[in-house]
Amino acid sequence: MSTEQVLRPGTGQDPGAGRHFEDFAVGQRFTSAYRPVTAADLADFTRISGDDHPLHAGPDGILQGPFGVAIAMGLLQSLGLHGPAVLGLLDTHWSYRHPLRVGDEVRLELVIIRCRRTRRGDRGVVTRHMTLVGRDGTVVQEGTTSAMVAARNAGPDPVAPDPVHRAFGTVSWGEALVERLAPGFAESLATWDGTIGLRAGEHEVHLRIYRGRVIEVSRRAATGATFTVEADELTWLELVTAPANEFTRFAMTGRFGTRGDGYEYLRLTAALHLLVDAARDLGTQHPAGERA
Amino acid sequence: MRADYLEIGGALAFVEQHGPEDGIPLLCLHTAGQSGVQWRGCSAGLAERGYRVVVPDLPGHGRSEPARGGPVTDLGTYAQWCLELVEALGLQRPYVAGCSIGGKITLDLACRASDRLAGVVAMAADAWTGGRPGERGLRRELSDVAAASRTDRTYLGTLAVVGRSVPRERAELIATMHRREDPAVSTSDLIGWTTHDLRDALAGVTCPAHLVVGADDLWLDAEAVRWAAGRIPGARCTVLSGIGHYPMEEIEGFAAVLDGWLRALAGTSAPQPEEVAAP
Repeated sequence: MSTEQVLRPGTGQDPGAGRHFEDFAVGQRFTSAYRPVTAADLADFTRISGDDHPLHAGPDGILQGPFGVAIAMGLLQSLGLHGPAVLGLLDTHWSYRHPLRVGDEVRLELVIIRCRRTRRGDRGVVTRHMTLVGRDGTVVQEGTTSAMVAARNAGPDPVAPDPVHRAFGTVSWGEALVERLAPGFAESLATWDGTIGLRAGEHEVHLRIYRGRVIEVSRRAATGATFTVEADELTWLELVTAPANEFTRFAMTGRFGTRGDGYEYLRLTAALHLLVDAARDLGTQHPAGERA
Repeated sequence: MRADYLEIGGALAFVEQHGPEDGIPLLCLHTAGQSGVQWRGCSAGLAERGYRVVVPDLPGHGRSEPARGGPVTDLGTYAQWCLELVEALGLQRPYVAGCSIGGKITLDLACRASDRLAGVVAMAADAWTGGRPGERGLRRELSDVAAASRTDRTYLGTLAVVGRSVPRERAELIATMHRREDPAVSTSDLIGWTTHDLRDALAGVTCPAHLVVGADDLWLDAEAVRWAAGRIPGARCTVLSGIGHYPMEEIEGFAAVLDGWLRALAGTSAPQPEEVAAP
C-alpha cells in the first residue's frame, strides 16, 4: 500500500508546502512530470562544472553524471515535498545506469525508504530512493538522498501507526519481528545456537538464538552474526509489500545477498522464510499512506 | 496406460506408454532429479489426440534403476540412452518433447539424430548456460548430498521458478512433488545441464524444432533461447507469459497446447506467433 501522486511543476498543486517529518512514511511514492534535456542544459552544465571532456561534446554528447543528480533535485522541488520544514540535505548515493543525452526526457520516481527521528526529537532524517526514468521505462540514474526535516512536535511518534513497522534493520524493528514469528520458527531451530543478522542499507540487527529461542535482539551480538542477510531498503520494502513471500526469488536473482557462514545460511532456509513472513506481516500492518 | 520395466543401457528402466501402439510416437522427457510423473497431467490427453506417448524415468530417477556407471553428469549419455529406448520400442521417427535437462536432451537428440526424429519441442532449455550454475559449487554439493536444507531449498526453489499465472495450490503441488528426488542424481543432472554445450551443433539440426521458454523462468534467459532457435534452420521460438520452468506441469490443458505445437511442426496447421500468452 502506498500513496501515488503525480504532480506538475508550477500548477499550484502543493500539498507538501507544510510537510514535516511526521508527514513522511516508508513506502510513500511520488512521481514528477517529464523534463526534457536540451542543448542549452548541456552547454550550461559544461560551463558551470568545467567538465568539457569530449564525451560531453558534439550532437551525441552525454550529459555529465552530476547533471542527473541536479535535475533530480529540481524535479523533487516540483513535487512540493521540500517545504520550509526541510533543514538541509545530508547525503547522496548515486549510480549512473544509462547515458543521458540531449533530446531525452526523464521523470523522477521517488519512494520514501527510511524515516528516523533524531535523538533531539524535534527533527528527523528522511531517506528517499530516487530514480530518473526515461519515456521507455529505462532507469537512467538512481540512488538515495537523505534530508533533515523539522518535526511538528518533539515526539515520541504515536503508537499507531507504529513507526517501526518498516524501520528495516533497526533493533526496534527486530523486536517487533520476533513478536510475530510463527511457532514453526522455534521448531526449525530447536537444535541451533547462533546469530542471524538482518541488514537493510546501513542498518543491521542481530537476533541471537539458542535452541529456537531468540534470547537477544541487538545491534551487535557478542560474537557477531553467524551470517547476515542483506539488501537495500527499497528491496526490503518490495519484499514486504509483494503479494506473496518471494524471498527465494529475490535471493536467486541476487537482490538479497549474504555474508558470513554460507552453510548455516542454507541450513536456515525454512527459518529465514518464516522470518520474512513475520517481516511481511509487520510491514503491511499499517499502510504507509495512512500516516501521511 | 501400460508400464514396463525394459532393460536399457544394462539396467531396468521404468517406461509408461499411453495411447494406441500405432499412434504418432512421442517421447516425453522430465526435468533434473524428477521423473515421468511430471507428464501425468497431459499424457492421457495426448493419447486421446492420437499419440503413442512414451514417458520414461531416466536412469536413477523415479522407478528406474540407477545408471550402471553411477549418477550421470553428461546429458549426452541420456541422449544416447533415449535413442536406445526408441530402438527397443521400435518407435518410427518419434517426436520428442522435454523440459529443463529433458529439454536440453531433446535439443541434443535433434543435434545428433535429426534424421531419426519427426520433430522436437525443447522447453526451458538453451544451447549453453554460460557455465551457470557453477560446476565447482555443484561438485561441492555432491560431496555432501545431504547439504543444508536440501529439501526446503528444492521446495522453495521450485516455487520461485513457477510462473506467476499458476494458481497457488497448483504451484505448491508441483513444488511438494519435486521434494521426491535423489540429491546425488539431481545434482549430477545439474552438472550435466551446466556443462553441456550444443552451440556449435545447432546449425546441423534438420528436423523441425520448436523452443519454448517461460517468461517467469529464472533459470533461463529468453534471449539465450531465442538465440539458440535462431541458429537452428527454420526453428520456432515461443515465450510463454506468466509461465515458469515447468510448462507441462504449470499449464492446465497442456495436452492441447503441445498437440498444437506438434501439428505446427508437422506443417498441418498454421505457424504460431513467436510470442504467445499461455492459455
